[in-house]
Amino acid sequence: MAKRFLALCRQAPYGNALAREGLEAVLAASALEQVPDLLFCGDGVFQLLPEQSPAGIEQKSLQRNLQALPVFGIETAYVCERSLAQRGLDLGMLASGGPELRPVSDTGKLIAGYHSVLNF
Amino acid sequence: MSLHIVSKSPFSSTALADCLAAFSEGDALLLIEDGVYALSGRMSESPAVRPVYCLESDARARGLEIPGAVEAIDDARWVALCTEHNPIVSWFK
Amino acid sequence: MKFSLAVYSAPHSSQSAASALRFARALLAEGHELHRVFFYCDGVHNGSALAAPPQDEPDLLGAWQALQAEHGLDLVVCIAAAQRRGVLSESEARRLERPAANLAEGFELAGLGQLADAVAQSDRLVTFGG
Repeated sequence: MAKRFLALCRQAPYGNALAREGLEAVLAASALEQVPDLLFCGDGVFQLLPEQSPAGIEQKSLQRNLQALPVFGIETAYVCERSLAQRGLDLGMLASGGPELRPVSDTGKLIAGYHSVLNF
Repeated sequence: MSLHIVSKSPFSSTALADCLAAFSEGDALLLIEDGVYALSGRMSESPAVRPVYCLESDARARGLEIPGAVEAIDDARWVALCTEHNPIVSWFK
Repeated sequence: MKFSLAVYSAPHSSQSAASALRFARALLAEGHELHRVFFYCDGVHNGSALAAPPQDEPDLLGAWQALQAEHGLDLVVCIAAAQRRGVLSESEARRLERPAANLAEGFELAGLGQLADAVAQSDRLVTFGG
């Protein structure tokens, strides 16, 4: 059985490159049929906001990468409930069209279930 | 269980707070680089999880005292901790 | 035990790249295997042959190269992240029509699949970022 691994995404989009390069790594791994699970935590939940329009700052939209996830076999993604609440967000305010978003209250328990964690 | 490695100061980053929110029974916390500033001054009772380790060289480099509740370790012990725990989660921003 | 490391930080900017080197040395000294070091994001700058730090400062490039030569390490620089940041092999510089190549000896350019492969092949993955 393949080792299960988790991509832990904690960075907001656009302000630094790690959010984008993290998703690129996730898509590359998935294309090689090593599909990780995803957990958005901390500022990483900002990646999931709808209606991002980064043309004005001359960046490519990260949402296209997120919407592509199901095509690469990532049908669901976990979202840290506490991180959402801290930022005044709830699941209903996040973008649809990508993977199904599943709220997680005990992220520690979730993380401990994986063989490896890729931190982005 | 997980080994959480925190490398940023709790005064400039949410790395430690986010890590503690994801800390489970049986996990371990290792402070490295600027993460050792969690031990600064009279804050040494926190973080309120066990066990807490810190890289002795990083704490000494910064002139920090290592409180008794925190185990100071060298690089070889750091490697050993990584063999004893899985997965290894790095909190670096 | 078989380790792989992911390094996201540039040398001489934060402590993190130096920490990765220390950890690599320590795990090898303890008799473990280092399957791969994958340099990603700003970490690709670790593979630049043009770094020339002052003599009284640590030479991270030279240290990685010495460790590579001694242990036959697989030091992989992500090709996509490296192209963006200007770390190119001779063949990439030719292909992309850039005036110079700067990938250091001992390092190789490869795709992101090598990171997924490192995860799959290793008992432990340790990330050095920030």
